[in-house]
Amino acid sequence: MEVKSRMRRTASVAMVALMGLGLVACSAGGSDTPLDPDEVSGEISLLTPIFEGSPGQDLLEDELLPKFYEEYPNVKVNVDYTTYGNLNEKLTTAVVSGLVPDVMLMGVGWVEGFASKNVLADLGELGLSESSLKEKYTDAIVDAGTWDGKVYAVPIMLDTRFGVARMDILKEAGYDSPPSSWEELIEIAEATTVRSSSGKLERAGFDMLSLDARQAFETMLFSAGGDIFNDDDTEPTFNGPEGVAALGLMSDLINKYKVEDIGFTSTDDIVNPLINGRAAMGIAHNNLWSQTLAADPTVIDNLEPFLIQGEAPGMFFGGTLATVAKNSKSPQAARALLEFLSSPEAALAANEQRGNVPALTELLDSDYVQSNRFVQFAMENLDVAKREGGPAKWLEVRGDVAPAVQSALLGQSTPEKALDDLAGLVQSAIDR
Amino acid sequence: MTTTDRHPVQSDSAPPTGMSVKKLPKRAGHISIAEKRRRRAGWLMITPSVIHVGLWTAIPVLATFYLSFTDYNIFDAPNWIWLDNYIEMFQDPVFVQSIWNTIWYTFWTVPVAMAVAVVVAVLLNQGLKMQKFYRTAFFVPQVTATVAIAMVWLWIFNPQYGLLNAALESIGLPGQAWLVDPTWALPSVILVGAWQGIGIKMLIYIAALQNIDESLYEAASLDGASSIRKFFSITVPMLKPATFFVFIISIIGAFQVFDQIYVLTDGGPANATTMMTYEVYRSAFQEFRMGMAAAQSVVLFAFLLFVTLISRRATKEED
Amino acid sequence: MTVNTVRAAAIASPATRKGPKRWYHHATGRQAALINVLLTIGAVTMLVPFVWMVLTSLKSPAELAQFPPTVLPQEWMFSNYAATLDAAPFGTYFRNSLIIASTHTIITIALGSLAGYALARVYFRGREAIFLAFVAMLMIPTYTKIVPQFLLVKFMPLFGGNDIFGQGGIGWLNSWWALIIPGGLSASAIFLFRQFYLSLPKDLEEAARLDGLGEFRIYAQIYTPLIKPAIATVGLLTFQDSWNNFLWPLLVTTSADLRVIQVGLAVFQQLDNTQWQYLMAGTTMATVPMVLLFIFAQKYFIQGFTNAGIK
Repeated sequence: MEVKSRMRRTASVAMVALMGLGLVACSAGGSDTPLDPDEVSGEISLLTPIFEGSPGQDLLEDELLPKFYEEYPNVKVNVDYTTYGNLNEKLTTAVVSGLVPDVMLMGVGWVEGFASKNVLADLGELGLSESSLKEKYTDAIVDAGTWDGKVYAVPIMLDTRFGVARMDILKEAGYDSPPSSWEELIEIAEATTVRSSSGKLERAGFDMLSLDARQAFETMLFSAGGDIFNDDDTEPTFNGPEGVAALGLMSDLINKYKVEDIGFTSTDDIVNPLINGRAAMGIAHNNLWSQTLAADPTVIDNLEPFLIQGEAPGMFFGGTLATVAKNSKSPQAARALLEFLSSPEAALAANEQRGNVPALTELLDSDYVQSNRFVQFAMENLDVAKREGGPAKWLEVRGDVAPAVQSALLGQSTPEKALDDLAGLVQSAIDR
Repeated sequence: MTTTDRHPVQSDSAPPTGMSVKKLPKRAGHISIAEKRRRRAGWLMITPSVIHVGLWTAIPVLATFYLSFTDYNIFDAPNWIWLDNYIEMFQDPVFVQSIWNTIWYTFWTVPVAMAVAVVVAVLLNQGLKMQKFYRTAFFVPQVTATVAIAMVWLWIFNPQYGLLNAALESIGLPGQAWLVDPTWALPSVILVGAWQGIGIKMLIYIAALQNIDESLYEAASLDGASSIRKFFSITVPMLKPATFFVFIISIIGAFQVFDQIYVLTDGGPANATTMMTYEVYRSAFQEFRMGMAAAQSVVLFAFLLFVTLISRRATKEED
Repeated sequence: MTVNTVRAAAIASPATRKGPKRWYHHATGRQAALINVLLTIGAVTMLVPFVWMVLTSLKSPAELAQFPPTVLPQEWMFSNYAATLDAAPFGTYFRNSLIIASTHTIITIALGSLAGYALARVYFRGREAIFLAFVAMLMIPTYTKIVPQFLLVKFMPLFGGNDIFGQGGIGWLNSWWALIIPGGLSASAIFLFRQFYLSLPKDLEEAARLDGLGEFRIYAQIYTPLIKPAIATVGLLTFQDSWNNFLWPLLVTTSADLRVIQVGLAVFQQLDNTQWQYLMAGTTMATVPMVLLFIFAQKYFIQGFTNAGIK
């Protein structure tokens, strides 16, 4: 971590709001013992980008929270619903005004920034230990909620990205299984790409464009055996040989092997091309399963998940984690809610509603996970999954990744130059 | 602002209707009681608005100016860093590109949409049978949610099955990748911007046309003037106050274009369509660099103020 | 010209001024046909997105997944609308949006026309500076102003548990005050009103003043009735802005009871998954009232001023 932010952290635990009006001092009581439900009391607020809309709201308020109140009768929860699209605006105004919700659900990559700025409570001080979490979750997922060696967040649900193949199309082309290496991926993609006589692309062999360019690149980077940052998150490493190879492969797939054309599909398209057979393979989100069930259940058996295998198996995970505000007036009540929301029952219900991947290892055997092949696949392979983030400045720089990836895919710059330029930008943000 | 204070009587630039008796207001020194009463009434009329705008807009605007000289990041107290934000932003190739994109976008969308709007407004003010329907149709894009509009334009621009490419190919021209081709993305966004901006401008022009005195046209008709001639010699000059408003508001709107970019291109491909407001948004709510966002806003402000003062001067000199 | 004819012309009821007295009324035959053809092409271009939105709202997810996309729904899924209404408490949201948009419109028309009149027709010291300041206020983007505005709401003294210095409570947050007051007036409305008052001839006020009318009466009885089209325009645009506002209501409220229609629509756009048929059904339901309002407001787009008596 960088020196400047550490100095700021130790210098003050106060957030001075604009115009010097709001001043909120923070203190968190510590306890290493389990909570005693009768002792825990208070009115707390919950900010959540999931559970939005009536179905989510009904689930949370009519099914889950009543169970929480049964256990903690002296706690009252006020829920503030938002969406991921506006989570940052809500968090910004919360932090600036000093009215930070007691419990906040946020994404992987958010935790580092907010923890480094003393917005989040050290859950260790509230009685949750890293080692007990690692018994319940895969290590990498616990790490997503830690910063500077302390735990600040507990995962509830994961969003994963991995390879998906249309086996009906692959079999037609003479392949019985998804690719097990980059070479095979190129070969199968070339074999399954279809163009009309005029050269117009009708089916992409391998689709990377219906996913955010940043996440697509990261998935490929992981499959190349690379990492986004070095171990102590002080330097970007995505521009190393693995990153250049990964972006080079993406660029070659489009510009050399011509298995997809820029503009063939986009993140704004109504439907994923794997569903209607406009792509033979692609990188996809695990909720492609539930989307396919809604749109065209007849193809569901043809969808086969696979890890994109380069130097390493590549799988990407993001997700939603629960955190407690450092200045919470009822930290124990907040901790109780956090534990409740990440408990097997509540987490399973929330994941089922969104078609997402539960983080808790024990939920692998649940009916929901067993009934959704993509979620099951994701859970079985969580030990190889990697995530975004690391440095406290991640949120600040992540928006610059997609343009860099695009410039390489468009042939505006070489993969190497695109990544080096980006790394320079990221490094200067980290050092700022 | 002092330059404009030298011409305090804006009403003198009211349209040369040929009827108004120009009368300069009496300067301080010999003000009649009636004049004093008038001025007091003027102040009374404007006070509620001054208080409202002063509190809810002027304070945030002043805060923006202050924060632009700080490193405010929402977490820590702001530190005064002089011009560091300004220096950094002009060294940032993406922000510099966003300035050019914004200017280019404004340069094309505003005049095109204004010209179309004024013609449509005049055509829709003649008492055509279908007038109500046409007016509604032209206004509909203004009220249709941007996300719905974006969905349709994404469909029109789709390189694979889009309407535009189908039309081009039917007349033997090659299709393009439009929104995802760095060469065509900005022109495509400009087309959508001009198209969507017509409705509101047309509405204001139609409203303004109702204030033009019929007798002017009647007199011109007696002199044998053609429709085209009446349009340029009567309609255009009489619409001057409305045009000033439409122009300034359109420039401001175009410089602050955001929604369209957000839903159509996200600033891409490779920053080809990023705009100043989009960068402000990113600085503020994706990067939490409020100081930088404020500084970028101040630059935007400076551009707009410059254009406004120039255009005000231009409209004055014509009088 | 006499004072009385001026006043008569100005104050006369709109009924006497109605009627198709357009200067192009000779556009006939081929000329009219050509104009109609051009306008029809334009109108279709403008309506395509709206129609596409409605058609999309009536398709099933299976149909939306088809390639190439269908134009007309194979099966008209009117049930999408019921499903949309079930996806969020739209009844409450609709009511809230209606209240907020209506109050914004009323406040804006009342205060904006007063200010616009003063800026256009009354001379007083500092008038130009105030006018330019109003316009300048529009030049800083919303995203920059929104955080300071949020703080003003939060530190509003003596509300929501705050003391006289604005400390200790939540101020106007999570209340109707925050939803209604800050967005109640926009400088662009003042600007538009000013331009319209400017475009009116000066004879009227001079005549009225000779008759001994006070400034407020000249405003209310002489000039304002003449700019009904401007009032309709400002009203429409204010209502629409307020109706479509999304971020501010989301930020200043925490309780679902105070949320608005656009917040309800956001639930259909989840990260990595948009439910297009519901999003479009909801958007259609949110748009139709605006279209109806426009059709209704058109009756105010009539000749506001005829100078019958002045030659």
